[in-house]
Amino acid sequence: MKATIERAVLLKSLGHVQSVVERRNTIPILSNVLLEASEEGSLRLMATDLDLQVDESVSAEVSQAGATTVPAHTFFDIVRKLPEGSQVELSAADGKMQVNAGRARFNLQTLPRDDFPVIAEGDLPTRFELPAATLRQIIDKTRFAISNEETRYYLMGIFLHVADDKLKAAATDGHRLARVTVEKPEGADGMPDIIIPKKCVGELRKLLDEVEGTVEVSLSGSKVRFGLGAAVLTSKLIDGTFPDYNRVIPTANDKLLRIDPKSFMAGVDRVATIASEKTRAVKMAVDSDKVTLSVTSPENGVAVEEVPASYGSDGLEIGFNARYLMDILHEIEGDTVEVHLADAAAPTLLRESDDSPALYVLMPMRV
Amino acid sequence: MSIRRLPSDLINRIAAGEVVERPASALKELVENALDAGAANVTVRIASGGIEKVEVVDDGHGMSPADMALALERHATSKLPDAHIENVSSFGFRGEALPSIASVSQFTLESRVRGEEGWQIIVDHGERVKEGPAALPPGTRIRVEQIFAKVPARRKFLRTPRSEYQACLDVMRRLAMARSDVGFVFEHDGRRVIEVQPQSAPQRVASLLTPELARHGLGIDTARGEMRMTGVVSLPTFNRGMGDQQYLFVNKRPVKDRLLVGALRGAYRDLLPRDRHPIAALFLDLPTDAVDINVHPAKTEVRFHDAAGVRGLIVGGLRHALEEAGHLSAAREQHAQPAAWQVEPVGAQAPSSEASPVRPFGEVRDAPAAPLPPSQSSVWESQSTFAAPPQARAEPAEAPTPDAERYPLGAARGQVSATYIVAEASDGLVIVDQHAAHERLVLERMRRAVKGERVMSQPLLIPEPVEMDEADCDRLEEAAGELAKLGLEIERFGPATMLVRAVPAPLGDRVKAPALLSDLAAELAELGTALALRDRLDEVAGTIACHGSVRAGRVLSVPEMNSLLREMEVTPHSGSCNHGRPTWVKLAHDDIEKLFGRK
Repeated sequence: MKATIERAVLLKSLGHVQSVVERRNTIPILSNVLLEASEEGSLRLMATDLDLQVDESVSAEVSQAGATTVPAHTFFDIVRKLPEGSQVELSAADGKMQVNAGRARFNLQTLPRDDFPVIAEGDLPTRFELPAATLRQIIDKTRFAISNEETRYYLMGIFLHVADDKLKAAATDGHRLARVTVEKPEGADGMPDIIIPKKCVGELRKLLDEVEGTVEVSLSGSKVRFGLGAAVLTSKLIDGTFPDYNRVIPTANDKLLRIDPKSFMAGVDRVATIASEKTRAVKMAVDSDKVTLSVTSPENGVAVEEVPASYGSDGLEIGFNARYLMDILHEIEGDTVEVHLADAAAPTLLRESDDSPALYVLMPMRV
Repeated sequence: MSIRRLPSDLINRIAAGEVVERPASALKELVENALDAGAANVTVRIASGGIEKVEVVDDGHGMSPADMALALERHATSKLPDAHIENVSSFGFRGEALPSIASVSQFTLESRVRGEEGWQIIVDHGERVKEGPAALPPGTRIRVEQIFAKVPARRKFLRTPRSEYQACLDVMRRLAMARSDVGFVFEHDGRRVIEVQPQSAPQRVASLLTPELARHGLGIDTARGEMRMTGVVSLPTFNRGMGDQQYLFVNKRPVKDRLLVGALRGAYRDLLPRDRHPIAALFLDLPTDAVDINVHPAKTEVRFHDAAGVRGLIVGGLRHALEEAGHLSAAREQHAQPAAWQVEPVGAQAPSSEASPVRPFGEVRDAPAAPLPPSQSSVWESQSTFAAPPQARAEPAEAPTPDAERYPLGAARGQVSATYIVAEASDGLVIVDQHAAHERLVLERMRRAVKGERVMSQPLLIPEPVEMDEADCDRLEEAAGELAKLGLEIERFGPATMLVRAVPAPLGDRVKAPALLSDLAAELAELGTALALRDRLDEVAGTIACHGSVRAGRVLSVPEMNSLLREMEVTPHSGSCNHGRPTWVKLAHDDIEKLFGRK
């Protein structure tokens, strides 16, 4: 294999694929990135952790077609440190790959290309296109609620399904829930319910930053593929049953509080400063024209802040984990947030307005 | 086959199966009889771990020949005067031991009531073979020989003489601790193993277990209602790798009860790591009707009518005593042992206490070698440093050191490798590990701040079902109220499933409910209390304390060091860090003098 490619192009592409590669691997080939140069003048880069695979092609001057694999993180670090604007020459032969750029030369150990595992996609019957902006919105507004708890592996991803003629995405860690509802794209009918794993969500979000237009989504019950222009991301799905989350979305919370999310969040952030890192319980006393936020720390003292708000029902005191509350407020873009309350122990619903795509449910704390 | 009554010697042998399973259990019955007979001195001689011979001699009130004959009948006893089995104050009461032992051995019973003639009865495996006058001082002497010689089934299951001896020794230790007002002698194969005079209970415990307990133990004396607990426990820093030296005595009767293990774990929680165990000998006195002794023929198990109250008394009493003990720490003996110290190599490298100008050549090699100078590091790793003389010196203003005599931990004199504080006290040199000490202080301060406050709880949006054993579910359900106070709300969800409704907020989202619940269930089954949750909450607090405390390597000024020492003196548990290691050690003047051969 012999190819020449501009550093900036290589670096960007490598940046996309190398983050899939785990830092430590028991199977040596998984530490490597696959480089495949083809006669048509393209260089294909591919990395996998057996559950997730990113495949990207960039244009390059190829003088001799071929393929090899080199350690992904090392290769990425090398390319990152090469001088800007330089041309990188890659030539592989006899178990080694030479990297030349300017006056620097590297000789990297390679592993045979045939050992490199590729995820078998199988049949992906459901295909639809989704605007990149919509996919970004789905991910941004739900990913914070994804669980980290491996005993409930089926919560460690975003649940994507079609219901009521809409496409819905939900994530929960058992404490809070986030759901985004978007128009059902054409072709999504009969789509199986899927859970997209957290790592895939993270990689997809990074790739989406550079995509305009639409993303091609193809999926079956066990795999999903996202086509993002030059890059293709393929992932296995979480094999599990997502709980029936609709039951925990309250429908009869009749006490409506309207408040500015920015000042609300800033207030919560300020009063939470006094609490110990672990239990950041913030108490909210809701009145007709204001919310009084307070935090009591047995070690440090008390913090109180009033935030203007509008509220029409009986006064109420309720406590939340400050971090959870801020995670949600952070995703609210408008200048009011509706907080639907029932009582101090019942799930609370937050959303921008009745017709906003995103909806959040948060369980109060006992304070 | 028709039903018939069994002959009495067979009945005795069946009973012997319950009461006498090995020489140690026969020994226990005989010594208890001697104590019940009001003996002031008990002498025990055994041979080959008791398999060949067990002899118990006491100076109690003895028996008349007629009583002796009756004593060898089943269910014949002088105890239980008013036939009230609920009110047992003597060790024995069943009247089974003597005939049972006599039915499986060569049994010689000799007794003499003061002022009368002695009498002797010899029984060979249940058959009376000889009877006649005997010459002995007032009291009773019982000899059991060739136990189980004719019961091959039992004989086969006896262990080696060595381990049978260990069992006998354990029995003797327990009984000797239970009755510190009685003198005991215990001989094995002619070697005197225990010889104790009447003494106080703590002294007796120390002399039977380890003499160091006298210095590193805590006397306990606490009461609640009609219950009273006395005894001695070790300081947290004086611990063992095995939980074998933990003894419980209920109304002077040695018992084995898992309640003790759980209560000790509870009391020493966060003072000791899980794999270390305190030494303890606790004496509970409670009304005889508050405890049921007639659970098992060997009477090593008891049932408390108010088990939770007893546990509360033990945990509360010990916790209080350990808090009182405050900063005490058991500086291990080896800290003061001269052999552990390096000595300036003058001629032979030898411990100073034994240093003599001339010593045989062979001995020198046994002496601990002084550490070699640091070996030459390879050129690749050596990093040369600038060695320029200081250009200016800033001498920190020395604060007036407080009077060393006034404080137990003395006045700080300096810091060694920015990690250890060296202080001078009136009776010696104190070395403090600054990180361990400060970590404990921060933890105790945090604990004081949240004392009495409920642990905050985060209810779950989607409650989590956890499948487990039905018995475990029962136990957890029973403890649900207790756990709710710690922020964990669980409820029964079907026969073999528990539902987690809320988790303790300080544990954050790292709670692994299945693992936590199964840990809790295991502890409830094993110890009767659920400590795992508290342990985890403490772990979180401990991590915060660790991050919030002065690290090793931080240079402290003299006022800072003194302030740390003063705070340690008034903070409970400051003698040991969260992991049970000592936070400070003391080198007494005596020890220093020994180092220099002055003593």
